[in-house]
Amino acid sequence: MTTHVLLLEDLPEIRSWLRSLVLLVFPGAQVSEAARVHDALELVSALRFDIALVDLGLPDGSGVQVVERLREQQPEAQSVVVTIHDDDEHLFPALQAGAFGYILKEQPREMITEQLHRISQGEPPLSPSIARRVMAHFSVRRKPRIASEMLQQVALTDRETEVLLRVAKGYTLPEIGVQLGLSRHTIADYVKQIYRKLNVSSRAEAALEAQRLGLFGR
Amino acid sequence: MTAIVHARQPERSGRIPAMARHPPPQRRRPAGRAAAGARLPTGHAAKQGWRERLGLAIGTSLWGGHLRRWVLAVLACAAASAPASAGNAGLQRLTQAWAVAVAPASDGPAPPGLVGERRALPDLAPPARGEAVATWYRVVFDVPASLGDDAMLALHIERACSALEVRLNGHLVARAGDRARRAGPACLPPQLLALPPALLQPGANALDLRIDGLPLARVASRRDAAALSALVVGPRSELALPHARATLAQLYAPQALAAALLLTGGFVFVLGWRHRAESHMAWYGALAVGWSLLEAQRWLPGLPLAATSAQLLHVTLLAFVTLAAVQFLLRYAHRRDRWTTIALALQCVAVPASIVLAGVDRLHAVAAAWTVAFALQIVTAATAHLVLRRRAEGRLPHTAVAMLALAGGALALELAGRWGAVPGGIAVAAQLAVPLALIVTGLRQMQRHGQALQASEASRVQLERRIQDATAQIEHNFRQLAELRVEQVTAQERKRIASDLHDDLGAKLLTIVHTSDDPRIATLAREALEEMRLSVRGLTGRAMRLGDALGDWRAELMGRLAQSGIEGEWHAPDDELPQVLPARTYVQTTRILREATNNIVKHSRASQCRFNAELADGDLRIVIQDNGRGIPLEVDGRLDHGHGLASMKHRAKQMRGQCLVESAPGHGTVIRLTLPLDGVAAAAP
Repeated sequence: MTTHVLLLEDLPEIRSWLRSLVLLVFPGAQVSEAARVHDALELVSALRFDIALVDLGLPDGSGVQVVERLREQQPEAQSVVVTIHDDDEHLFPALQAGAFGYILKEQPREMITEQLHRISQGEPPLSPSIARRVMAHFSVRRKPRIASEMLQQVALTDRETEVLLRVAKGYTLPEIGVQLGLSRHTIADYVKQIYRKLNVSSRAEAALEAQRLGLFGR
Repeated sequence: MTAIVHARQPERSGRIPAMARHPPPQRRRPAGRAAAGARLPTGHAAKQGWRERLGLAIGTSLWGGHLRRWVLAVLACAAASAPASAGNAGLQRLTQAWAVAVAPASDGPAPPGLVGERRALPDLAPPARGEAVATWYRVVFDVPASLGDDAMLALHIERACSALEVRLNGHLVARAGDRARRAGPACLPPQLLALPPALLQPGANALDLRIDGLPLARVASRRDAAALSALVVGPRSELALPHARATLAQLYAPQALAAALLLTGGFVFVLGWRHRAESHMAWYGALAVGWSLLEAQRWLPGLPLAATSAQLLHVTLLAFVTLAAVQFLLRYAHRRDRWTTIALALQCVAVPASIVLAGVDRLHAVAAAWTVAFALQIVTAATAHLVLRRRAEGRLPHTAVAMLALAGGALALELAGRWGAVPGGIAVAAQLAVPLALIVTGLRQMQRHGQALQASEASRVQLERRIQDATAQIEHNFRQLAELRVEQVTAQERKRIASDLHDDLGAKLLTIVHTSDDPRIATLAREALEEMRLSVRGLTGRAMRLGDALGDWRAELMGRLAQSGIEGEWHAPDDELPQVLPARTYVQTTRILREATNNIVKHSRASQCRFNAELADGDLRIVIQDNGRGIPLEVDGRLDHGHGLASMKHRAKQMRGQCLVESAPGHGTVIRLTLPLDGVAAAAP
């Protein structure tokens, strides 16, 4: 079965380089390329994708839009942010929108292929700063009580929180596995859950916010 | 016990009546005179007391507010002046006279042959017709036998309206006033006339007084009609005191009060005029000025007005005073009625018109009717005033009640006095009480105005203070806003620079990284990209908690070592660290640590590396130790600069810290980085 890949990147050299990487990781994959958010959105509504590599800073907008659209229209597709920004300021919104991991563009070929591989296997990367943002997102319950019931369903478990705490302190996932006496797969599952819950709770909050604005903005 | 000489029945012959002589009592009872002499100091003391009390009355009234004392003082003043002229044994009070009317145009001495009628003195407003009254009064008195040679006999006339001619035993003694009454007040001031000893006869002497005045029908006020008060004959020295007292009561006191009233009224009028919200003050001023003019008519000499015109003016002034009084009373109670104002103003015109139409001979009747109407209007206005104020203030205003009662009572007494119904002294005191009450009212107006002014000044000061506070607050907020704006603009600008760097420089470097065939160039470009990213972080990044920074460093450095197959060890305090690193410090420290790790990975050939971070004496101490081959010495004995040690040291120095490198070939390398945290603020909890 062929893997359908969406590649959104505005720099031609980088795009072709990424394409070569994709073909390396997923031999025989069908790669659809786009240089603009507009084109990517059209592709999303026309074709089905398994994986999407999305750049964030594009001439006609942010790749976050594409991530969102994919999340809505093709929930089974995995969006991966490919960016030059390593800071959580840029990454976090994309992760909230439903991106499943991120890759820094300047990394050497081997590392990127390794990461792509892991992501496709369901092992997204998690940096300390992203972990801290996730924790802040879940711990700061400044939203009103009406939200709590809805958000309760996507609250982090103690184990997930424990993993996040350790990631924030700079431990690698294998290290945490050893510390908690858990297998590498279990840890990877926790991280996956954290990503999923971040997306669900973010959308729930957004919905509540919209509701609140609708209620009071009338 | 007074010595009174009764005039005798005239003899039908028409001669000057021969007066039977009644020996004065003091002659029969010398003890009486002695007693009178003994009483004199008492009388003196009484006079002093009266003056003091009057002074006290005015003083307290000026001092304001103490109404009760003021009323008492006025009553005391009236009581004090009541036992008027007589009371001394040497004085003869003549209360009966023979009166003969003559033609006003006639001249010369009293007609010797005319039969007169007996009249009691004071003779007020004798009935008469025509445009003028001329009457000869004849009284007979005895020269006191006890009169010393050097003592002068005198005649005191308290009141005579309008012109007077006095003859003693047929000889002209004095003339006063203008018979034709072309000008001047209606009544003469109290007269003290010396009776020349040469004209006196031993025993009975005849005094003829001719009074020329206006008939009652032609005057508006009874006060202005022809009149003669009781006469007192006695030693001049003894008459001086009653005369002075009468002059004070009838001339000086009204003058002083009228002047004070004029001033008060004028002042309050100006105040009321300037502050239209307090129009009642202007009306009070008009009232006071009108009343003082009304009073001034009685003593102001040389008013170039014919008798009838003066009367007309009098009534018109009265109408104006009524207008002012009613308006004052209503406006003081915050009631404004346009129709009342118009009606009262029309009345001021209607009054003189009605008098002119009715004719000069019905002047008194018309004026009396108007006066009653005025009185009714003022009483109505006063009642309305009290009712309105009671409704507004919830209780009856005591001061206003007392003031109105005082003025009303005084006016009633004064009117009664014109009919002779009350003793002359009380009538005089009542006359003085009205302007006094008005003055007190005026002072009260000023006091209230002053209080209002003070209150408004206080509230103005308060308002000013609040404005100042508000202004200061606004300025403060504005400054804060401006600072915030500067910060925002700066942050925006930094963000713009950062995103430019990322998008332009970053993209180009990235292209080099992935398109260069030379791995060395690709690595350099990658490093440049990392440097750029750090720089941007230093530019836009927020301060970082030390614990978070250690987490980041651990993840990066351990990951890097793991990739290179070097066994890494990390020791750092595990608890929450409150210290905060500014973005710049974080970035510089990251560079030092990255450089050190690079050296280990690239040059040391170490198999193990150990990081140790600790806090001591407010410093952050990081020790990086490897088991590699160490850094070879250069020829000059210094450590290899190619390892970037110089830049590491330089960066540490920039942060006021230091970076020491210990190395010996074959014994690995130890890098000791010490950074002061004292300038770094503790994180907010």
